[in-house]
Amino acid sequence: MKIVAVLPAFREETRIGDAIRGVLPLVDAIVVVDDGSGDGTAERAEEAGAVVLRHRLNRGQGAALRTGTEAALRLGADIVLHVDADGQHDPASIPVVLEPLRSGTADVVFGSRFLGQEATNMPTSRRILLAAARTFNAFAVGVPRRVTDPQSGFRALTAQAARTVDFRQDRFAHCSEILRLVTRSNLRWMEVPVTIRYSEESLRKGQKPWDAAHIAWQLLLGMFVR
Amino acid sequence: MLIQIILVSIMALAFIMTWRRFRQRVIPLSEALLWSLLWIVATGIVIAPQISTRIAHFVGVGRGADLVVYAAVPMLFFLVFKLFIKHEELERKLTEIVRHDALRDLDKN
Repeated sequence: MKIVAVLPAFREETRIGDAIRGVLPLVDAIVVVDDGSGDGTAERAEEAGAVVLRHRLNRGQGAALRTGTEAALRLGADIVLHVDADGQHDPASIPVVLEPLRSGTADVVFGSRFLGQEATNMPTSRRILLAAARTFNAFAVGVPRRVTDPQSGFRALTAQAARTVDFRQDRFAHCSEILRLVTRSNLRWMEVPVTIRYSEESLRKGQKPWDAAHIAWQLLLGMFVR
Repeated sequence: MLIQIILVSIMALAFIMTWRRFRQRVIPLSEALLWSLLWIVATGIVIAPQISTRIAHFVGVGRGADLVVYAAVPMLFFLVFKLFIKHEELERKLTEIVRHDALRDLDKN
């Protein structure tokens, strides 16, 4: 089974190399989509051994992920793995995420921060925000309550599932969108516990409480776009 | 009154422009008719403001001028929202182009 990891990266020149070196031994290939960074992200990624695609303009994490997913499928991936480029996702969790796909018991696997594995340094504010996002997802987006992690970017899909899940949100709303699409499809999905490592740097760059309102707005607009 | 002359002139101009655009095939007939209706109603209200007052009383609003403002707010809201959607559609088209461009590099390698 050919496993291709997709890492959407925006201005990650300091962290992308380590992220790739952590993931590469566990997969067959890595696709990095440099989302119009304008720094050394693409060069660092190439040095570390990834296939690099470049967005000429910054189009957002969701857009980069979609580009990377299509590239992975063209490279003949049987399993597409989505991982963050900033090293937040602990590579040690990758085999856990891949296992249900390898054994054929699921089509889509979501990594969750809330299934036992304690995330390191998760701030209380983030915890509260994620709890609110889960409620929002349930009522406004229609994602089942049993999904424990509303904003996990750590996921894996079979090639078949990756072709089916037609996510079109360019920015951060793609997480909720993918959850909605998958949980409403015939695809077999499950959540597995993963470890997320929060660092000061990743938190500074990560999503702010204000972004939650932005995501809600994006999802609303998305309902009316063609 | 001067304000009536100015407003009616503007409406007349808008009416003429609407049908000129229709003849130039810029807008379809349905849209031309819709805009024409708007200009005619607006002209009617400008010439005889008591019409709007009567309608206002009918729906339970005190003054005709208030009714016009109340009606304008949801209309503007609707138009702005439509613009947001159009903007989002353009954003997604732009993403398509950028993606197409990025994936071409993959084929080259």
